[in-house]
Order: sequence, then C-alpha cells, then structure tokens
Amino acid sequence: MQYIKKDLGSFNLHMIQTDKFKTITLRIVFHSPIIKEDITKRLALSELLLQSSNNYPTRRDLTIKAEELYSADVYSNTSRVGNYINTSFTISVLNDKYTEEGNMEKAIEFISDVILNPDVKEKGFNKEKLEVVKNNINVSIDSVKEDTVGYSLIRLGESFDKTSPVSYRMIGYKEDLDKIDVNNLYEYYEKVINNDYIDIFVIGDYDKKDMLQIIKKYFRFRTIKKKKASYELKPKKCRSRRLIAKETINNSQSKLAIACPISKLTPYEKQYVLPLANIIYGGGTDSKLFKEVREENSLCYSIYTSARRLDSLLTIQAGIDKDNYKTTLQLVTKILEELKRGKFTEKDISTAKELYKTSIDSIEDYEYQIINEYFKEEILELDNYKDRYKNIDKVKKSEITKVFRKINMDTVFLLEGVEE
Amino acid sequence: MKEIELVGLDKKVYIEKLNNGLEIYLIPYDNKKNYYISYTTRYGSDINSFKVNDKEYNPPLGVAHYLEHKMFEEESGIDPFTFFSETGTDANAATSYDNTQYICYGNKNFKENLRYLIKFVNSPFFTDENVEKEKGIITEEIKMYRDIPDYKLEMQLRECLYHNSPRRIDIAGTVEEIEKITKEDLYSCYNNFYSPNNMFILIVGNFNIDEALEVIKEELKDKHNKPSPDIITKPEQKEVDKPFYTLEENIDIPKIGMGIKIPREIFKQKDMELELYLDIFSKMIFGPSSTFRERTRSNKLLNDIYTEIETTGDYIVYYLYATSTKVDELINEINKEIIAMKLDKQDFERAKKVLIANEVKATDSIERMQNCIHDDLVRFKKLFPNRIETIKKLSFSTLKEIINKIDFGNKCTVKMIKKRN
Repeated sequence: MQYIKKDLGSFNLHMIQTDKFKTITLRIVFHSPIIKEDITKRLALSELLLQSSNNYPTRRDLTIKAEELYSADVYSNTSRVGNYINTSFTISVLNDKYTEEGNMEKAIEFISDVILNPDVKEKGFNKEKLEVVKNNINVSIDSVKEDTVGYSLIRLGESFDKTSPVSYRMIGYKEDLDKIDVNNLYEYYEKVINNDYIDIFVIGDYDKKDMLQIIKKYFRFRTIKKKKASYELKPKKCRSRRLIAKETINNSQSKLAIACPISKLTPYEKQYVLPLANIIYGGGTDSKLFKEVREENSLCYSIYTSARRLDSLLTIQAGIDKDNYKTTLQLVTKILEELKRGKFTEKDISTAKELYKTSIDSIEDYEYQIINEYFKEEILELDNYKDRYKNIDKVKKSEITKVFRKINMDTVFLLEGVEE
Repeated sequence: MKEIELVGLDKKVYIEKLNNGLEIYLIPYDNKKNYYISYTTRYGSDINSFKVNDKEYNPPLGVAHYLEHKMFEEESGIDPFTFFSETGTDANAATSYDNTQYICYGNKNFKENLRYLIKFVNSPFFTDENVEKEKGIITEEIKMYRDIPDYKLEMQLRECLYHNSPRRIDIAGTVEEIEKITKEDLYSCYNNFYSPNNMFILIVGNFNIDEALEVIKEELKDKHNKPSPDIITKPEQKEVDKPFYTLEENIDIPKIGMGIKIPREIFKQKDMELELYLDIFSKMIFGPSSTFRERTRSNKLLNDIYTEIETTGDYIVYYLYATSTKVDELINEINKEIIAMKLDKQDFERAKKVLIANEVKATDSIERMQNCIHDDLVRFKKLFPNRIETIKKLSFSTLKEIINKIDFGNKCTVKMIKKRN
C-alpha cells in the first residue's frame, strides 16, 4: 500500500494505492467549524445534491446512471467531528479490470457532476426536489424517539451542556428547516464549495499519474485557505454535584446514559492511554462493565462506553429495567471508583492492548477504514497507525490509572420506559 | 478435499466432509489480515417440537436462542470472551430461524482460537444456577427489540402471514416462555441438534487451510452423531392468516409492512435461480431506479422503503416495508403498481448487470463473503459456484412466466399508526 498526499492549492488529494480491493473508491470531504443554525441546511444540501443534477433531471436518472456504471455506490454523509461539521460524498466503483475501459473515469465524472453541476436555475435549486428533501428531514426529526439509544444520547448531550456542540442534534431542527428555501440554500451551497476545507481521497489499484490528471480535470475549486481552527472542543469542567435528568417514554426498556467529561488530557494520553482505559472500563465483552453489570448481576443485555477524544468526553450507555436504575448506577459508579484506585490487572491491560492492535491490524482490510484513518491523521495530527501499533505496548498501568482519575461522572440521563 | 472455483470471483472454496458428516468449507484470502470462523448448527427457532425414541419434546419457545447464550458457560469457569479477548479476538454468536452460529473474528492465534471455538461449542455446561442467571439478560434483550417499532411491525406481519409456522414468533421467544426454560431443556436440544451431521464449519479470510483442517480433524473426528430426531411440524395453510391489521403504537410517522405469501411448489426453477429472478423482479418494480419510487417520492408519499425475500422451505414470502406520512395513499399506490405492473426488458438487463457487479464487490469483504456462503449452506445445504454464469443466463421471458404464476392477492398489509390518546 502506498500513500501520497498532494496539496493542489484549493484541496488536498490523498492517493492510496493498493491492490487489495476490486473497487476504486473516491471520497470528497467538505469540512468547516460547526454552526448550530447551519446543521439543517447542510443536511438538506447533502441530500438534495443526490436528487438530481443539471445533466440528470431526476433521482431515477441519477440512479440509472450509477447502475449502468456497474452498480456504482453513491452516497453522502453529514456528521459532527468535534468542533467541525463534515460532509462527504463517496462513490465506489468496480475497477476497469472487472468492467470496461473508461468506466472508472466516467464514475468520477459522474460524482463531480452531482456535486459541481447541480440542478440550479436563477441562483436557486429545484423547488420540488427541495420539498421532497425537506419532507424527508421532517420525518426523520419526527421519528427521533424510535431509536431510543440515539435519543438518550441526544438528551444526555443537551442535559450535559446546552451551549456545547456535544448537544447539537445532527438530525436537524424544525425551526431551521422552515427557513430553508431554494435561494438561501444555493447561497449556502456556494459558501460550502468556496470556503470549506476540502480533502479528496482515492483508494484502489490505479495509475498515479492518470488519477492525478483525472482529479484535476473534474475537481476545480476556488477555496480560500485560512488557518484552521482546532477540531477539539474545549473541555468542560465537571459539575461538583452530578446532574440527574429524566424523561419518560412509552417503552418496556429504559435507557441509561452517562456523560463523563475528561479533564486536562495530554496529547499522549488522548492518543494512547484513553483508548485502553475505554476498552478496560466498557469497550467490549471482556470489559469490567460487561462482566460485572451484565454477566454477574444480570442487569442488562447491552452496556458499553465510548471515548470521544475530540469532545474530551466518555459516555456510558446501558439498556435496563427501570426498577434496576439505582442498582445499575451504583455499580457503574463503583467500578469507575475502583479503576481510579488501580483495581485492574496487568492481564486486563495486555488484553486491552491486543484488542487495540487487532483493530489497527483490521484497518487495511477495509477501504473505508483506510480513508478514515488517513483523514484522522490529516486533521487530528494522529501518529500513523503503524506507529500507534508499536507504541501502544509502552503504555503503563500507572498512566492508565492517571487517566481514570481524570474521568468524572457529570450528567446522568435516564430515558425511563413506562408501559401504558 | 475438493477444490471448487467460484467462477468469475477469483476465489476458491476447499471442501471436506468428515466421516461423521461434519462439513468443512474453507475460503482463504491472501490479501486480508483478518479471518472469520463460524461453527454452525442447522438448528434455530424454526424447530420447537421434536420426537426421539417415541418421546416427544416441546421445549419452551426461545430455547434455541437461550441455548446459544448458555453455550458460553464453561465448567472451567473461564469465559470464552476472556479467552478470545486475550489475543485481541472478537467472539459472538447468533440465533436465527434456521441456524445458530458461533463465530470468532481476528488476526492472531488462529489455530488455538479455532480449537477453542470448537471445544467450547462441543462442551455444554448447564447448571440450575447458571441457567437462572441468564433470564434477566435475555429478558432485557427481548425488551430491547420489542421497543423498536420496525421490529414490532415485522413481528405483527409474521403473525398475520402464518397460521402455524414458528416464524410467527420472536426468535428469542417471550419473557413468559423463557421463564420456564430449565437445564434439562437445554441439554435435550443440545444433544439432539448439535451433532456433527447437522453442523458445518466455514472459515473465510487469512489462514492456512492445512492448519485449519488439522485442528478441525483433531477436535472433531471422534465426535459421534446422536440419532436424528423427527421434527414435528404443523401444516401451514396456503392463505395468509389475516390480510389486514392495524397496529397503534407510540410513533409519529406511520409505517406499513406487506408480505406476499407464495407456495414454493408452483415454480419448477431451482432454488437459487428462482431467488435471483425474484430479486430482479423486486429491483425492477420497487428498487432504487424504479418508476414507482420516483413517482411516490416526488409526491411525498414515500420516505423510506425496504424489501426482502424469505424462503422457509414450503413458502416464499416477499416483504415490503415502508415509512410514509400518507400511509393509506401509499398502500393504494403499491396495490396499483402490483396490478398494473409493467415489466421492461431494459430494466431487466440493467438489474442483471447490478447483480453481477454486486457479486464481484461482495468478495472484497470477508464478512460479506461469509454471509453469502453461510446463507446458501444453511438454506440450500450447498454452494453455488456459478452464480455469475447463472445470472447471465436469466431470461426475460422466464421472469414473466414466474411473475404470472404469483397470486399477488395472497398478501397481508399491516399498518402501524400513532396511538390515539
């Protein structure tokens, strides 16, 4: 596998050459610091561009074209990454070896057309298409409670800190949706195309020179580069007394979600120690939470933690019976206190290191993970994954204990299931 | 050992069958780091009544899934999850209607992990205490699924489609039924359905085939079969049980589930060929590039749609699930589409192209490869090495013949709407 990064002025091109895949995947990522009021616009935009383009007047025309390119996968995604909002467009197409000469270039031309040649008249998008997209976003906002885990995490973020991007609803907001029209969305589109940071990743088995020419031919931007704001959120100080928030829902199970801000992590701790602490506490089927809360006390089926490095936050999530809320919370708290006192073994650490290494080793098996990895290395100043693999072994128990001591429970949110 | 080429996919399958009947399928990759091992019994929630030596067994519903959970109990006290995690390996298990599989997934310690996986599945250890302990965990698992509206809709649709089939019931059973499960139930199901002649091992990814065979033979060659139990099934009616049902739930956006119940016997085509035709048909009529989607989406009648084909042996069910703010209008549109169906040859050829491309793409991921092969081995008990050739040969006239035979009126429609206060 060979990785080359080229600064093409208005964007960075990341070329990853590998013969491990039968496909060639291109992903273009637009990123800029997140603004709450723009989230819904951004969602609408990324969905709208996939409804039609100047050359393909309907979604059906677009889909037929993708199918004719030997079933090219085309999709977009908008998500928050720390302090930023990222919107990506991806196309994945079979290598010409398996299709026909020129198919891959046509696919790249196609995704460029979708993004850069939109269905626009008189500085406005197509009204009917926008209505369809707005209806879809409206429906997903209305269905927010169907995914109870996702909803409990949204409500946890809002209870934790209303002013922080951690609390932003990435499904969008109705009041912002109502304000979107064909013209102001087009204005926003121009702003994204002209001002966002742009990175293009291409992975697969291809000729470097040819690919560079193809990319230069189909992607041209007038991006003005500024000094980048940090991807990391400012860590929030932990409350002196835990905040307990509750909401009821007509369900049989309750969801417990806990936010633990992590104070003053060093770059080394973020990169090497926090991942291990997370695995030991609640990162898998061999974690303390899984063993004690589920296996020994039969309190739940699902329980896990997630370490969000950029947010300086560790979250805990469990699906429980409402009658077991207090017992579970006590147990989860007790386990964290024990970890702070160093109640974990060298074997726990070596297991966590092995799990970490397996996940690093797996990266090269998946084109999307490879792209994500290089993207993370680009924006987050992470060490290369091969170095992380080597360095993880050096982490000592005392360092992990120190990180556990920086993790404190701040907000507890219970989505209480009450069956009517 | 037989060597079979998956034509057009640059992949080979190595097949071995032990004297006791255990089947082994090995698909090595030289450009991946991970391996994916599955050890599977063709036993799932479809079987809930059987007879051995004139004795009838009717264990509580959900027993196959309960058994899967309890297989992770070891007499040594060492948790299999701990064993696998020590070398950074993931382990899991899954119970379905027609199979239960135990898997481990990683990139280190291949031989020992394979050996351990076989050993722990081959050594049940159930006590009154450890069986009791699982009730809380599985109850939460059942409740977790029961709270998902899409899951509820599917369960209700299944109840409406079938009169007697076990597919009416949640794979995990019900909270009331699992309360009754005892260690004796688990042992009787284990002893009757975890026999080598009812099981297979499939390994995909980065491993050495000789090492794999050596370990499997060492661990399994002396394992004997128990006499195969007679499975008791109740006959299933051709007609659906309830054609319409309305479910009031705690949701804001209505949903529908539709199922068309088709007897397998009306078709002369072979299993795989028939499925390919139905899959293509589904793509043409309701797929992403169908005129139906374009029309309903533009009219804001359709927010989400998902289709699926299920084969149960005697029946094929075509499922369609959708979300819509105007659910009645959408149901009308679907019914209209079914009646006035226009099959277009160009769409047919394009759908074939898509299927072939997807076959090739699936080989890039060892999980997707495992899924495809595992599915064929469970449902049809064999491999289909010539899929691409078969797809190429599918003809538009046969598709029309097949579709003409289907009684689209034999269907259920379940509507899920917001609960009135």
